[in-house]
Amino acid sequence: MTGKFVSVLRGLIFIVIALALCGVIFQFAGYSALGMFHSVAEGAFFRPGAWQQSLRWALPLFITAAGVGISFRAGYFNIGAQGQFYLGAICAAFMAEWLNGAPAFVVIPACFAAGMTGGALWALWPGLLRLQSGTDEVITTLMGNFLAGLLLVYVTAGPLKDPSGSGQQASSRPLAAAYRISDSLGLSPTIIVIAALVALAMWLLVNRTAFGVLASLAGRNPTMVQWQGATVWRLGLSSFLISGALAGLAGTIEFMGPNGRLAGGFLPTHGFTAILIALVANLSVVGTAFVSVFFGGLASAALYLPIMAGLPSAAIEIINAAIALFITAKSGFVDRLLAFGRRSA
Amino acid sequence: MDNPALECRDVTVAYGSVMALSGVGIAFERGKIHAVVGQNGAGKTTFARVAAGLVRPAVGELRINGQQVKTGKVKDARAAGVELVHQSFALPPSFTVAEAMEFGSDRGAAIFTRSALQKRWAPHLKSLDVNVDPKRRVRDLPVETQQGIEIARALVADARVLILDEPTAVLSPSGIEMLFERVRKLRDRGVTVILILHKIREVLAIADTVSVLRGGRLVDGPVACAEIGAKRLAEMIVGPAVARTLASGDADAATGRGAPAAHTANHHTPADAGLVLDMRGVSTLSDAEGPALRDLSLTIKAGEIVGIAGVEGNGQRTLVRAIADLVDATHGTLAVGGVDVTAAPLARRRAAGLRVIPFERNTEGLSLSSSLWENWSARELLQSRLLSAINPARLKKRCDEALQAWGVHYATTGQQAGSLSGGNAQKVILAREVDADAKLIIAAQPTRGLDIGATAFVWQSLREARDRGCGVLLISSDLDELFDISDRVVVMLSGEVAGTFSAPYRIGAVGAAMTGVSQ
Repeated sequence: MTGKFVSVLRGLIFIVIALALCGVIFQFAGYSALGMFHSVAEGAFFRPGAWQQSLRWALPLFITAAGVGISFRAGYFNIGAQGQFYLGAICAAFMAEWLNGAPAFVVIPACFAAGMTGGALWALWPGLLRLQSGTDEVITTLMGNFLAGLLLVYVTAGPLKDPSGSGQQASSRPLAAAYRISDSLGLSPTIIVIAALVALAMWLLVNRTAFGVLASLAGRNPTMVQWQGATVWRLGLSSFLISGALAGLAGTIEFMGPNGRLAGGFLPTHGFTAILIALVANLSVVGTAFVSVFFGGLASAALYLPIMAGLPSAAIEIINAAIALFITAKSGFVDRLLAFGRRSA
Repeated sequence: MDNPALECRDVTVAYGSVMALSGVGIAFERGKIHAVVGQNGAGKTTFARVAAGLVRPAVGELRINGQQVKTGKVKDARAAGVELVHQSFALPPSFTVAEAMEFGSDRGAAIFTRSALQKRWAPHLKSLDVNVDPKRRVRDLPVETQQGIEIARALVADARVLILDEPTAVLSPSGIEMLFERVRKLRDRGVTVILILHKIREVLAIADTVSVLRGGRLVDGPVACAEIGAKRLAEMIVGPAVARTLASGDADAATGRGAPAAHTANHHTPADAGLVLDMRGVSTLSDAEGPALRDLSLTIKAGEIVGIAGVEGNGQRTLVRAIADLVDATHGTLAVGGVDVTAAPLARRRAAGLRVIPFERNTEGLSLSSSLWENWSARELLQSRLLSAINPARLKKRCDEALQAWGVHYATTGQQAGSLSGGNAQKVILAREVDADAKLIIAAQPTRGLDIGATAFVWQSLREARDRGCGVLLISSDLDELFDISDRVVVMLSGEVAGTFSAPYRIGAVGAAMTGVSQ
């Protein structure tokens, strides 16, 4: 059995176990488990137009998850994707506000640059703290998420507030149609091309550069690469910056594409789902792409369930939570299961 | 021999598919000093752990004083009077001596005062000739004293059989003498002592009987030491087949059979050879990993092996880390291969020809959960730009060629480094660090934990590197190893050079320098 095959198998196994657990929960809650899964599958992939919806969610998730994968590979548990995602959206929104009126071919690239920079900077300070004084990046990036969430509320209720807004949630002025990169359905050639470029770049970075091999060695054993003469600083900080920039890129896409404006607390679980995706995919870039489609499908089903099937969308949250539960248990539980399979084979 | 102090019958222990012990039956007479010897991996430590109830054998029984004892139960073994002092000490470093004694095992009162503890343990320590203030903290004590406390702790209960697992590994020659004195006194008090050793010289110096393990089987024993010669014992340890293939000096050095070999003495480093290492007046600060270097100067010529001797913890680690830029030098200059690298990072030092075989194979030398080809190519990749393109297929192919040339046993270059045995893992490191461009190879404890075949291989590789014109800095706590392959031996004490010796080496003089006793 090759390593790749094992890791795919492992990902599949705990998704299946998690779904089985969910089925039990649904059954006890008074729903038909089979009916529930049927509706989820329909909402995700099988109703007309489902694929388009699922991809709309999958692509930004993939971009963020690919970044998360890079920092995890290098051994840094950057769980601040959510905050970096928000900062990307905020910075892009400021740039759009500032350049308002300029031609689209200036504004759009400038917004992307601003969004990626914003995300990267939001990953920079936890990175510096970690490398300079060993501050645990799990704590700092997690705190960064809350700060970014509050910053978003402030920005949408303050500097960027839409005075004509009447909704409960304050939001920024809508982005001029000329600067939008997709309609509110959220799937456009621009976004597909960006996601494809990210996929290619990250695959090359991980599999075909010295950085990829060294970062993975450093992630598994930083002491060893230090004795080989690596500057752990450079490897570590670059991986923080790349993961932040990609989360920022996803934030920019959400702002300039489907959302078209900033709203306080929008997509509050994006970054965390991305972390799940990266872990289920065992940090492989190709795997991340496939797993993103799966989770994009779940996101799309979450909208479908209550409207079309009359079922609670909380079912999707339960599925997500169950998968998260099994991922954290994977090293022990699933590996033993796999080892058992090998022994009896 | 009626009712031996400790008896094993037909003991078999398997770890996975590896037989650590198979069918070992052995009985130790009461009130004597027994040695158990063998190479690394022969099953000595497993044997000790079975006797102490730490390992439950698949088959076999354990009898203490003729009474059968349940195997795999520390409590039962202890109750029957068997105590084990481990290879690596288990004293909590932050405890005072009295606290370590009180809370050593499953004893200890819930509420205590320091002074009461000190009062309770001072006489016990004194009765065993452990001269130490019970108020002092364990971490501040020399290793000989720590060992003394470990032994005292093992003898708190009414221990009748005391097993010491490789007690000499951490000691200087004079420390070994002290230990042997202590062991003899214990024997005279009626304690049966079982020493796990791996040096023949030590066995013959202390033990009444010797038993030899090889590959998990009992070769012979217990045999009275008076009836067996060093040569015969060495053959029993390595096995007749291996004994024939080893250079005579290496076999002696590896089994610790007395007088150091002389076969490096006929190697002459050309007098005009250039310096591959030129350290002048280097000082560092002390840190968690070791003491400071103080004004240390050291030179190595091309084609020379310089050995560093010293009791562990006297700055050998700091020396290696200073050369590898893992600790900053506060004073002094450093040149590698004729290039001044005082201010250069490790990557530039490596570019100048520095290679390092680090102390800890499994943490500093290899990333165990990474693949072999990644581990092997790390050195080269670090010499190129971070974003430079690589071709994994080609790297794997070159890794394949290199590992095969070094005789590594492995299945594919994609397998994890952690799946290799110690000797094979060390060969992977050699394959990476000993290349044609190497000018100075630092080999830190390169043979620790290896069996004799692998040990001899490492020595041969270092000699060949030297003969090609490399300089080699060998750090070892094994004097036999140093004497066997070094052209010069430098003794370190408290971060300074305490003496330089050349062949023929006198163990007494080197040992005196190691402990700072002037002769």
